[in-house]
Amino acid sequence: MQEDFNGGIDLVEKKSDTAHLYDGKTVRSSAPSRKKAAGRMKGSSEIPKDAIPEVHVPSMIESLFGGPIVSKTKFLPPDRVVKNLQMSAAIILTLLSIVTFTVTPVSGTAWFWLSDVINQPAIGALFHILLIAMGFIGGMYGIFQREQRAILISYVILILVTIRFAGSKVEFGIDLLPDGEISQKLLLISYALFLVMYIELTSGVIRFSMLDKSIRTGEVYVMNVKKITSQYYKSLMITPLVAGLVALITLMINLIIPFIVGLLGSDSTAKRLEESVELTSVYGVALGTAVVFMIVASAFAVNLPARLAQMRENSNK
Amino acid sequence: MAWSRKSAMFASLAVALYLLGLVLRNQQLVTVAVVLLSFLTWAAFRTTNADVSSSGRRMEDDNDTGGIALQNLVALRRLSSARVFEDGEIDVSIRIQNKSNLSKVLEVRDRVPEVMRIKKGANYVLMELGPQRETEISYTIEAPLRGFYTIGPVCIRIQDTFGLFHNEREIHLYDDFLVFPKMEDIKDALIKSRVPKIFTGAVNIRNPGEGSNFYNLREYVPGDAMKKVNWKATARSGGKLMVNEFERDAVSDIILLVDSRSVSETGPVSRNSLVYSTRAAASLAQYFLSRRDSVGLVVYGDEIVSVDRDTGKKQLYVILTKLAGAMAKGNTPLKVVTNRIMPYINRGSPIIILSPLEDDPTIIEAVRDFRSRNFDVTILSPSSLEFEFDARRLDRTGYELLKTERDILMSELRGLGANVMDWEPDMLLNTALSGARGF
Repeated sequence: MQEDFNGGIDLVEKKSDTAHLYDGKTVRSSAPSRKKAAGRMKGSSEIPKDAIPEVHVPSMIESLFGGPIVSKTKFLPPDRVVKNLQMSAAIILTLLSIVTFTVTPVSGTAWFWLSDVINQPAIGALFHILLIAMGFIGGMYGIFQREQRAILISYVILILVTIRFAGSKVEFGIDLLPDGEISQKLLLISYALFLVMYIELTSGVIRFSMLDKSIRTGEVYVMNVKKITSQYYKSLMITPLVAGLVALITLMINLIIPFIVGLLGSDSTAKRLEESVELTSVYGVALGTAVVFMIVASAFAVNLPARLAQMRENSNK
Repeated sequence: MAWSRKSAMFASLAVALYLLGLVLRNQQLVTVAVVLLSFLTWAAFRTTNADVSSSGRRMEDDNDTGGIALQNLVALRRLSSARVFEDGEIDVSIRIQNKSNLSKVLEVRDRVPEVMRIKKGANYVLMELGPQRETEISYTIEAPLRGFYTIGPVCIRIQDTFGLFHNEREIHLYDDFLVFPKMEDIKDALIKSRVPKIFTGAVNIRNPGEGSNFYNLREYVPGDAMKKVNWKATARSGGKLMVNEFERDAVSDIILLVDSRSVSETGPVSRNSLVYSTRAAASLAQYFLSRRDSVGLVVYGDEIVSVDRDTGKKQLYVILTKLAGAMAKGNTPLKVVTNRIMPYINRGSPIIILSPLEDDPTIIEAVRDFRSRNFDVTILSPSSLEFEFDARRLDRTGYELLKTERDILMSELRGLGANVMDWEPDMLLNTALSGARGF
């Protein structure tokens, strides 16, 4: 940094280069001759093509969402962080595809219904597997080519295969899976976690690729890159654990409520609640979600996180 | 706390899956929705932790270290110079202090004016700043265009590691700086130039001073040199001591008239008549002031701004400051300007008009007025037609037509006895002035 901060007048004269201000037009060094200019002129008086600005007319969907849904970005070759994220995303996608196949039966899906109508149930099962395979291949392509559209398509497909009329009972695609309620719910949570992790990791691949490009083109300067990436990795470990725990509490509401009622001394009521169809069904999960998120919402309503942060920031001052 | 597009997508997906799960009685969908919501909630919780209470001040004022409540982030800025010429560079340093006990991942963007170009370093920094730590960001900007500019505010953003939510604050820390129009050394051009006499030496002006030509007689006042006493006149005056006064001929009074009407900004932002006029005016002012002439400036656009005649380096910076702030506005005709300033200019003073000579029907009348009062008028006219034609905003037919009109106007002005120089783009001022020969 310079020592002189007195605001002295800088009389440095430099060669003018203001080409960036008018579409890269280069400045000529000599004075133009009017005769030469006249000689250069063409017979036609039509407007030159490069004088007409390129106008991107947004599509209907773009107008609806206020911009391109998936932006086209050219990336530089991936650096170490991006490569690590790509590998992690690929592993998670593989696990997700396997878990999706195991926990999602074809029964209850639209294609199962259609194949049943034409009396060819094998076609429905084949289509189901094909969809999962497409989601997997599209995802892999998207991850390694950093093609956001392919990634988005794989999200849609992997969510689409789970959309099925299931009834209240949990069903799996493979019969060999455990029947115990807790293990079933753990499997469901792991499926959900893999899906969320896949979405996050693929978004991380794109985000860090963009950041890497900005760093290398000098648009942004990053101090302590290692610390920033290590924080991201740390969050990738902690956040899914927290989310999984909250989801577990929510899904276990049919056991938690009877347990609390049992503690209050009404054993028969607790027993009845435990066997209640409503609590063990999806509506029980809905009730659990409502309870858990009401607690979270009230914490935010009283500004608890900010208060805690304030306490921590002002401690030892 | 603001939501990103990603968090909005997560939230809408979670709600959609949750509702769909309930409708289809599908626990799998509900579970995905619950995990997504938990993910979002945890990220929001973490972002709310990241407080960005902040303040800023210039480094020169950094003597008060007392903190305002929750003043956890402090920004201090320092500029290497507050005044530069066009194409000059300014080094900017920002010191960011984290006064809290928590480590923070910050995005810091120091807002620089759009026309400025970052030459070295970056004004956008992503950093991890530990508790009770400070760091310094440095970058260099290049100022390609004259004007008054402000750097700031400093935008600070803290977001969660997944980029779902962010807190953003602007630290209202501003630093002003001035970019003067750049100047050319025109000494050679003016020595070579034959026609504008004003440039080749001192001109007698009708003001008393230390010259050689007799001006008038007056009574002796204490302090007058005895050699100035006119003894014959003293004898005729009946005993009163009379002294000779001489015309001040060591310096000239030069008046620069800069046209800053809105029409003068026709053309690209960095290549238009006003840019060229201000650069020429700055160069001429520097030249004449270095010759110890007295230079005055009139800039007319939506109003008439004038700098009274004076000499010296200080006057140069006064003129440069006015030129830096000249904005293309309004449409004041030249005749209004001449009527306003004529009573205050000494007869015979050289007048240099810097104008594209467009869209002003009073030009001929104004120049005729000047000439009839024996002012030495020089017109330096940056041709906006050429700017437009070069930027391909004007077709050939239009160009030819307007060029003919312009040539006719210039011939008329020359007929009135004014020295008119047609200044085409990319022509150096030196070349344009040298072109004044042979009118």
